[in-house]
Amino acid sequence: MSSKEEFNQISPSEFFYRNRDLAGFSNPTRSLYTAVREFVENSLDACDHSGILPNIHMTIKAVDPEKPDPKQYILTVKDNGPGIPSKHVPLAFGTVLYGSKFGLKQARGMFGLGATMAILYGQITTNKSVKVKSNADGKTRFDFEMLLDIQKNKPVILKKQETPSSEKGLSVSICLDGDYSKAGTKIRDYVYQTSLITPYATISFDDPKGEKFNHKAIIRSMPPAPTIIAPHPYGIDVETIRRMLVDTHYQIPNVDDKMIEKVRKELGMSKKKFTYDEIMKKTEKKWKSLTRPVRVVISLMSFLEADFEKLQRIRIEDVDLRNNKLVYWDYSTSQTLVAEMDVESHFYKQLANTVQGESLTHFLSKRFQRVGPTAALEFCKFAKFKPETRVGNMTDHELVKLSDALQTYEGFRSPDPTCLAPLGDGPLEKGIERRFEPDFMAVVQRTASAYSGFPFVIEMGIAYGGKIETRGTTVYRFANRIPLLYDEGSDVVLKVVKDTDWNRYKVKNDSAPLIIVSHICSTRVPYKTVGKENVADRPEIEKELRLALQFLSRKLSGYMSKKGQAEMAKKRANLYSKYLPLVAQFCTELSGNKKEPNYKEMMKEETALTNSDGSLEEVKKNG
Amino acid sequence: MAKKQTKKETKKQTKKEKLDKSKNLISLLKKHGARVYEDLENGEFPKFSIPNRSISNIIYDKKLRQYVLGTNTSLRSSRNSSQLRSFTQLLWLAFFANKLTHEKKSSTLRDVYYSSQAFAVDFEDQGESDNIIVDLEAVLSQPREDFYVFPEERSSIFGDLTIEYTIPGYEGKTQNLSSHPDGYAIGPSMTSAELVDTSAELVIAIEKGGLFTRFVEEQVDKKFKSIIINTGGQAPRSTRTLLKRLHDEMGLPVVILTDGDVYGEHIAMVIKSGSANAAHLKGLTVPDAKWMGVWATDIDKFKLPTIPMTESDIKRCYDLLKDPRYQEGLWKRELEVFIKIKRKAELEAFSKYGLNNITEKYLPKKLEESKSF
Repeated sequence: MSSKEEFNQISPSEFFYRNRDLAGFSNPTRSLYTAVREFVENSLDACDHSGILPNIHMTIKAVDPEKPDPKQYILTVKDNGPGIPSKHVPLAFGTVLYGSKFGLKQARGMFGLGATMAILYGQITTNKSVKVKSNADGKTRFDFEMLLDIQKNKPVILKKQETPSSEKGLSVSICLDGDYSKAGTKIRDYVYQTSLITPYATISFDDPKGEKFNHKAIIRSMPPAPTIIAPHPYGIDVETIRRMLVDTHYQIPNVDDKMIEKVRKELGMSKKKFTYDEIMKKTEKKWKSLTRPVRVVISLMSFLEADFEKLQRIRIEDVDLRNNKLVYWDYSTSQTLVAEMDVESHFYKQLANTVQGESLTHFLSKRFQRVGPTAALEFCKFAKFKPETRVGNMTDHELVKLSDALQTYEGFRSPDPTCLAPLGDGPLEKGIERRFEPDFMAVVQRTASAYSGFPFVIEMGIAYGGKIETRGTTVYRFANRIPLLYDEGSDVVLKVVKDTDWNRYKVKNDSAPLIIVSHICSTRVPYKTVGKENVADRPEIEKELRLALQFLSRKLSGYMSKKGQAEMAKKRANLYSKYLPLVAQFCTELSGNKKEPNYKEMMKEETALTNSDGSLEEVKKNG
Repeated sequence: MAKKQTKKETKKQTKKEKLDKSKNLISLLKKHGARVYEDLENGEFPKFSIPNRSISNIIYDKKLRQYVLGTNTSLRSSRNSSQLRSFTQLLWLAFFANKLTHEKKSSTLRDVYYSSQAFAVDFEDQGESDNIIVDLEAVLSQPREDFYVFPEERSSIFGDLTIEYTIPGYEGKTQNLSSHPDGYAIGPSMTSAELVDTSAELVIAIEKGGLFTRFVEEQVDKKFKSIIINTGGQAPRSTRTLLKRLHDEMGLPVVILTDGDVYGEHIAMVIKSGSANAAHLKGLTVPDAKWMGVWATDIDKFKLPTIPMTESDIKRCYDLLKDPRYQEGLWKRELEVFIKIKRKAELEAFSKYGLNNITEKYLPKKLEESKSF
């Protein structure tokens, strides 16, 4: 989140150009695919979070079908989601970095950047406007036609129209340079695999060649929507702790114009010029109603004896509690100055508290999930920290010690998966069953685990035989319900699958009709690249994947040996039904008997098969 | 005169024996069939007990002077699904053998392979059916020739021997085997024929067709009162059966003439005492047969042109040295000489001294010698 300010300092177009490779807009093939993904994922996310069963319709049309690729295409994605209130539409689609997805919960996209990127890419390559139709209240549909003012990062509305309509939802249409002849396979795969991992969604796609792909929803219930939560101590690293320490209310706030504005407002001193004394007087009256950051700023002002004007001219460099000194930079004189701090003053306490931060137990129980005051105390005992240790005072050495202890302490409850939205056993199973129609299948949802404090859940399914046409192990990778199609070589899932000795599970690796569906759900999937195509091999994730796969493989192995036994029994039955009559015939002739011996009973016994339900079935005699 | 008398008596006896043998075989087959039938009737899985033919169960019987099978047997049961197929194949073959014996129709190993297909008993290849045939031989302790299954390869016979055919269509017809100079093929009709009469006093088995023709040309049959048999290399079992019958039924001594090398020596040995491959069968050997040459010692004695032995020749010598039959006398001595001189001589080597050298000089000399050992 601290990177937000950083982004703001460069113009969005610059940002876009710098990042278009990373964001997946490097060439017409990749760009078309990425644009499809961004819009579809936005629609799915919107529906998910509003608890609406998604119904998404996508069309890609060539502007001039006669032209050779790469050429201009019109991409339209329409959903039945909550829509966007009309006043937000221009900003949501007309500015870069406008989004609602800031927080620790699972979503397909991270910051809602991608869709704007796609719009920007479309505008840059074709100079055509984006068309947005949004109906958020089920009464009126607002149609917008907009361009993006790249310099100002502001939308330019070319057309706006209102139509009464009861159909909620959003439709976005852009024109962009693309190469469908090359990207088509990936896009079709993407749509298909998305429907596999989103079995509650109906996704249809009309491609530029006139083909229609319709993936109807298989189930009518949605997995519970994720909630926003704090990180889990297990798997957190030093750097994350450090960031958490800095990124708190206990930080000395940036004393910028905005902050000063806030202080004035809280004091009720917005309009005029005020002297230092006036400010302090007002502060005494209002102290209790002030927010913590404002209190901190006023404390600083008290030691600096600064009014608002002076405050604007300086930058705080250090609050040195050991020497009771306040170090600051004065812009007007361009020098570093030092102010003494009165230890007795309540402003000092305020500052000291802020700088030293909370007590360790407080920090742990407030900033982490699954850690209550008792657990925090017990942990301190385990880690040999004083519970009242101020986190702000901790040295690097102590932070490392803390981080290590957080890893090794076994007393924490496992991470809260409520912020995650795994598909669940049932829907995953249904999805696999309907899409692949296998002879055998099993799914598993591991309990939640965490890496670097981010919770994650592994879901995995295995399917064998039946209508599976591929031979060898085919792996479908998903992360936060997004299919991962590119860069599969370096993915952790494939690494785990490759490491498996399938012979141990009675599976012939290169010829088996075997499908593995792997789904990693996390508040932050550790992608190797911004393109979000492969998952990095974090040991915690690898371990969970391995356990999931082992569990499923054992189930498969059980099925395979049962199948082997059944095949053996069938083989035996076939053998006897073929040879026993011959034996009877030959021995009758050889012994000179007229009638064949009575072996029917034997035949019945030998050719009876035990069905899985325990009933007996007689094999048809062949010849 | 007295001798002829005995011969005739022997002949009558053998004719009866032969008939019995055929009857015995049929009843033996029937007995096996009946046992399978009964088992099925009783709801039990029929099985065959087959003498184990693995190397560990092949032992040398000093009394019989041949290899025989030990007492180990293996069970082929229809209860075992992995044996069911071969059990059926074996039973089918017994059934088929019974048919052949009844109808006195001969067939070859290849015939058997194809015949099986008429009965939905499938053999993967001829190798598999050949194996089943040997199994049946072992079960019955009878060579396949007895149930009219013959190998493809044929050797030939020439000399004053009158036979009477027993095969259907030729029954009672007689033939003297000296009327066709190329000789007569030793096939099923020859093997099953009655040996009626001969003026010969000796059987000479010779390894090579070329020499066989030479011997006919040189009238060895007349000069030495002999029946000449071309074994065509290692003597086929039908030829060995015929040799045995000539010896047993007609009372003729058998001498063997081979190339002067380790393989020749072993050809003679197989005629005399059988092969390990046929250890499950008796009645294929002529223990009194004599290896007349060419010996290793003859090479020097007759100054024969030689060729050096190959490595595999030498290896074969050492292998045979371990064989219990090569542990004494002539057999051991010659083998050791071969190893010592590391050279070999073919029968044709005598041609260096004239084409008839072998029949004029070598043969009389060796025949004379052979009387003494």
